[in-house]
Order: sequence, then C-alpha cells, then structure tokens
Amino acid sequence: MMVFNILTDGFFAALAAIGFGAISDPPLKAFRFIALLAAVGHACRYCLMNFLDFDISSGSLVGAAIIGFGSLWLGKRVRTPMTVLYIPALLPMIPGKFAYNMVFSQIMYLQSLDIPAQRAIYMEMFFSNTMVTCTVVFMLAVGATLPMFIFPKRAYSLTRQKL
Amino acid sequence: MDRQSQEKLSEVGEFISEYSSHMIGCGVHTSRVIRSAKRIADTFGYVVNINVYQKTIILTVLNPISHEHYSEVKDIPNLPISFEHNSRLSALSWETYDKHLDLSTLRERYKQIISAPSVHSFFVLILVGIANASFCQLFGGDALSMGIVFSATITGLFLKQQMTAAGINHYIVFIVSAFVASLCASTALIFDTTSEIALATSVLYLVPGVPLINGVIDVVEGYVLTGFARLVKASLLIVCIATGLSFTLLLVKDNLL
Repeated sequence: MMVFNILTDGFFAALAAIGFGAISDPPLKAFRFIALLAAVGHACRYCLMNFLDFDISSGSLVGAAIIGFGSLWLGKRVRTPMTVLYIPALLPMIPGKFAYNMVFSQIMYLQSLDIPAQRAIYMEMFFSNTMVTCTVVFMLAVGATLPMFIFPKRAYSLTRQKL
Repeated sequence: MDRQSQEKLSEVGEFISEYSSHMIGCGVHTSRVIRSAKRIADTFGYVVNINVYQKTIILTVLNPISHEHYSEVKDIPNLPISFEHNSRLSALSWETYDKHLDLSTLRERYKQIISAPSVHSFFVLILVGIANASFCQLFGGDALSMGIVFSATITGLFLKQQMTAAGINHYIVFIVSAFVASLCASTALIFDTTSEIALATSVLYLVPGVPLINGVIDVVEGYVLTGFARLVKASLLIVCIATGLSFTLLLVKDNLL
C-alpha cells in the first residue's frame, strides 16, 4: 500500500508537470524528463513528510533540490537549460491548498469585521497560511536554483553541443 | 585572421539586439541572455555590454581594435513564454561560438527557430486540464472533483487563450479566467465531494511560475532591478488570480461554511 501511494503520488505529479509545462511551450523531447523530475521530486517530498515527519517547507526544499540537481544532469542529454526542465517540474509542489485558504480567510475576515471572535480566527488562519505559502514557494525557488550556483560552469553550458 | 573585418559592426549589433530582446521577451532569465549575447559578439570579435530593464534593453557593441561602437535601445517585445525558444536560442549561441557561423547563417537559423510552430492550443488545453485534475488528486480530491476541475480548467484556459488572442489587458484576462474557472469548479458544492479542494485547484493553472522563478534567479545573481520587476509582475498576476477567486468565494461562501 505504501509503495502504491508513493507511486500514485509520483504519477499524478508527473501528469501535472507535463500539463503545466505545455503552457510554456517546452521542446518536445524535454517532456519525458520534466515528468520524471516532477515524479521523483514530489514523491520524495511525500515520503519525507509522511514517513520522516518533515514539515512542508523543508520537504519542499529537499524535493526542489533533487529536481534542480536532476535537471543539471538531464539537461545535458536534451541540450536544454536547467530552467526549462525544473520550472514545470516544480509546479506540482506549489502549495495550492494553503494559497486558497489564504484568499478564503482574507475574505472571511473582511466579512466578519463586526464579530471579534471570528475575526481573530480568520486573522490567525490568514497569517499561518500566508506564512506557509510564501515560505514553500521561496524554498522551491532556492532549492531548484541551488545547483546552478554550485556548478555554474556546467549549468551555463548545457546547451553546448559536444565537439 | 581579422574577424572584425568579416561582419559589419552595425549588422552584428542589430542582430544581437534583436536576439536578446526576443530572449528576454519569451521568459529567459537575465544572466543567460547576457551570456548568450556576449558569446555571439565574441564570435565576431566584438565586445557587447547590455543593460536590461523591464521594458527595454540598452546595448553597446564595441570593436576593441578600431574602438568604433554601436549602441541601441530596443523595446522588449511582449511574447508568450517559450521554453523551446529559450533552449534553442541558447544552443544557437553555442553553435555560433563553436562552429564560427557567419552572420547570414546565424540570421537564417534564428528566423527558423522563432518561426517554428508551437504546441497546438487544443493539445495544450487538454494537457492542462489533465494536469490540474492530477493536481486536485495530489491535494486529496476524489474522482468527481477531478472531473469537475478538468472541465473547469478547460473552460477557464479556453477563455484565457481567446481573450489573450483578442489582445485584452492580461490582468483582466487573469481575473476573468480565475473567476470563470472557480465558478465552474463551484458546481462541486452541489455534490457530496471534496468541493473545497476542487475550488482551490481550479485556478492553479494560472500561477505564473516562470516569472516567479526567473525573478528569484535574477535577484540572487545580482540583477536585482529586473528580478524585482519580474517578481512584482508575478505578484500582480497572483493578486489577479486571488481577486477572480474571491468573486466566486463571495458568491458561494455560505455553502462553504
């Protein structure tokens, strides 16, 4: 069951990445690597959060770093810059539920200005959801770009043909 | 061999300004554009310095031997994001550098790349629908929610494509598509399903991932101004998504509580 859950998680993350990638017109040969990276990254975050008690932001950082290093490695094969592979692969990790709760609590806060008890609940809900959303998005960006700064020479010559 | 005498400074300058403004326009982060442009200039024996703003680029191409220079301020075109152009134009700069392509061949290759057809919009529509439905599953949505998100996404994205083609302001496009997609997804409230998750995921296909990540990369690499410009743009788009979603939430909030 555990293995099945991990595989399903990876599978749906791959589907999501392919679709979100398609919006930005990626090279056709890059699709399979985008799917692979998204699946590995997301499944990794799933495992960290469910089995090792990682919180969502550090889990995302590790997942994003794996995607980043993966794109550095696979980018050379399809001769494509890292960003082309890792941006679509990161998108399934965007904390959509928290972002939604952020908007929802903001609206409910404004709707319940006259009821102090409810107002306090929505204010707390807004802050905690904003905190999670912003931190996770930041961690995703940092994790995935990290390899670019550690190995600049390789990262900058991924599109170069072997001579 | 005197490489400078082979290609005229002004012609190389014009090509580089066209090439770099196109790259910036289709969503390539600043340092890559500058590196690629310098690589091309270097091939012809020139030196190029580029200053990138959010709407224009300013560049000077210098002939280090005769000290002639060519300057240009070029508007950045408003292009859809294209990873295909990103990777093929980067590869073109390396090819020019390694194989010493001449300017006419370079122009020809460049034209070929930018006029190549992109993925068909209907194909994109289906793929994005499937993607958002998978997203719904990742957040714990059930099969019915996935179906609703799929149709909501297709409706919203179709509207976005049509409105973008009609040249409507893109902030309005984002508000309207987020509103329509979430309104379609709010039909989930009628059924006994994970309707909150359906609502939350229905607008996520609009998230401007490319400017967000490019913004962070630019800031970290020292192009703070362009980085912040990108981040501000991305944040405005996110605010637009939230606004569109808010309209739906205001309509259906009583059913959600």
